[in-house]
Amino acid sequence: MLVEHARSLAGIADASHAEYGPGGTPVISLLSCSLQDQTIAVDFTPGSLLATLYGSPRSIERTACSYGLAPEVQSIAGAHGMRIAATDGTGEVRAIERVDHPFFVGTLYQPQLSSSRGAPHPVFVGLIDAALAASILA
Amino acid sequence: MRPLVVTVLMDLPPDTHYHAATIAALRHASEHAAIPIEIRVVPTDRIGDVDRLARDQAVVVGPGSPYRDPEAVHAAIRVARERGVPLVGT
Repeated sequence: MLVEHARSLAGIADASHAEYGPGGTPVISLLSCSLQDQTIAVDFTPGSLLATLYGSPRSIERTACSYGLAPEVQSIAGAHGMRIAATDGTGEVRAIERVDHPFFVGTLYQPQLSSSRGAPHPVFVGLIDAALAASILA
Repeated sequence: MRPLVVTVLMDLPPDTHYHAATIAALRHASEHAAIPIEIRVVPTDRIGDVDRLARDQAVVVGPGSPYRDPEAVHAAIRVARERGVPLVGT
């Protein structure tokens, strides 16, 4: 999502993802500290869609990410219609969302790993609610 | 009511933990909200015509990168962004 955002809207035509090898301007790069199979605390931006969905300023999330937004381009996550929706304890971007879209959410953690039948994850509940709303409007 | 179509772009096979967890999380949310959904898992090298995704009610960009066809994933994300299709990428 951030590569598409960088290329289409942030004017970084050769934006790339380091996982696919060298070349271009890597906007997604290897984290200095891999978050593979980690649990992290994420803090939501007040007023963000995620803050509303969670109904809480902070959540503990599981992550399997070894890659994140490159430090040099962190600013693009809060520009061109994108908003930083969550950060972690180091201040790095952990979730993004578009301000001009009914539901356009990217997480650098894996909400599906902490969903259960009795406690469905707010991100997926939000997605299904938005899907219903979009289908009614269509 | 007719089920909402949720397309999941994901290369990981069904017997992997992340694939199963993604499908399960969608089912949990669907049951919780009492909104029936039809989940269509599409490997990234089978996305084909991305305009078709604009007719879906939601798109999930699943875990498991590197994707087989990252350019097709970018095209799909762009369509969802431009056409207002609810999307989550994890």
